[in-house]
Amino acid sequence: MPRASTRAVAITGLGAVTALGPDVRALVTGIAEGRCAIGPLTLFSHAGRCRIAAEVPEAVPVPLAAVAPATARRLSRADRFALAAAAEACRDAGLDAALRQQTAIALGATTGGMRETEEAYRRRRAGEDRRFRLGRMLGTPLSTSAAAVSQALGLFGPRVTFSTACSSSALAIAAATDAIRAGRTRLALAIGTDQLCRLTYAGFDALQALDPEPCRPFDGQRRGLSLGEGAAALVLEDADHARARGARIHALVLGHGTATDAYHPTAPHPAGAGAVAALRAALADAGVSPERVDYVNAHGSGTPQNDAVEVGVLRAVFGRRLPRVPVSSTKSQLGHTLGAAGAVEAVVTVRALGDGLLPPTVNLRTPDPAWADLDLVREPGRRVPLAVAVTSSYGFGGHNVTLVLGRAGAV
Amino acid sequence: MDRERLRAEVKALLAEGLRLDLAPADIPDETPIFGDGLGLDSIDALELVVLVEERFRVAIPDEEVGKRAFASVAALVEFIAAEQGAQGS
Repeated sequence: MPRASTRAVAITGLGAVTALGPDVRALVTGIAEGRCAIGPLTLFSHAGRCRIAAEVPEAVPVPLAAVAPATARRLSRADRFALAAAAEACRDAGLDAALRQQTAIALGATTGGMRETEEAYRRRRAGEDRRFRLGRMLGTPLSTSAAAVSQALGLFGPRVTFSTACSSSALAIAAATDAIRAGRTRLALAIGTDQLCRLTYAGFDALQALDPEPCRPFDGQRRGLSLGEGAAALVLEDADHARARGARIHALVLGHGTATDAYHPTAPHPAGAGAVAALRAALADAGVSPERVDYVNAHGSGTPQNDAVEVGVLRAVFGRRLPRVPVSSTKSQLGHTLGAAGAVEAVVTVRALGDGLLPPTVNLRTPDPAWADLDLVREPGRRVPLAVAVTSSYGFGGHNVTLVLGRAGAV
Repeated sequence: MDRERLRAEVKALLAEGLRLDLAPADIPDETPIFGDGLGLDSIDALELVVLVEERFRVAIPDEEVGKRAFASVAALVEFIAAEQGAQGS
């Protein structure tokens, strides 16, 4: 049953900074064209097995008028990505200063300004700085990105930062949804942001989790994930409030579910216990039966383990209907943006619903033979009217979050 | 070290060491280094003390000395010159 007693949550603004470009338009165009943004790693040197990543290509415009110059100078790239995406989402939602003032922030990230901190260590070790420089390390706490956003855009609502590995910003969306449902705020900005850094790059490579070639989710030859970076932001709003002010509603957050694996620091539970529970909980929360799901935006990282477990999860929940549920992975185009992935993929899924365009999994040549019955969406995507979609994010340590999104007017 | 060269080095240290959006030559001699002048804050102050101490081998032991030394670029140049003179360098 739908949750008639709680408020409906609308998505009224979208923003994104990704390897496909500096805004949502660039993201949606690149996705529709089947572009793969994974290329040479240029941000830092790495001596391991892999040399590729999905880097944000250029400096993105960041609104800094309200930020003290000394603070603005020290923002990390992760802070700047978050700020650019948040500003775009607020513009898209038509939030003026008075509305922004009431807006809460929920942000997810995994390493934040780690790259700048690594650079401070490198400079110290290389003798370029004789002592550690505080000003180069101020982006270390994950909370700096949300602080920068609230300061730059004048958001005075409650502010929280989540770090649950690769589900961080999916959890931020879930938390923002709950805050609106409970009537604690009418507006919330859910953000995910992360930048490439040596720690994650070398760490994933050492774990042999990276594919030396651009990742190939669901392919029989897949060898791992590709790392990416960027940010995405969604303005979530009490649907009645959105309608009353005449805001355009992109989609609705119908429900969310969270569950843990309690199994291993990096490997998913072999039967996807937490992921199954999260997906079922999300559908129950949304009051949507599995039969009504038109599209699955998969976690689809491209590691041999993840994709196998994830297909098992989908089989467990969708059963004999699974061959009729289109599935694709945005990570084939943007790499895995870690803490940003949940929000980035939510934006992609919202636009898929609105545009009636299933995003493809690129680089998928020969699907794993065990999944011959699945509807794995390949290039060039597919036009089809969509009403309900789910998007899942599975983080290391078994942090599983699933969101159920619905097209405005269709649910 | 003559004053002109020292002044240029101090300005370069400010611009590059603190990563200011300002060319060294555009930093005025008499503007207060902190406060509204160059838009520097307390973290910059901490860093600048370290940078000046390292670069010019002078000691800024307390706030009183700091206030005097960082009153302006011109004051900082005089402070460094005096300290280095006292060290016999």
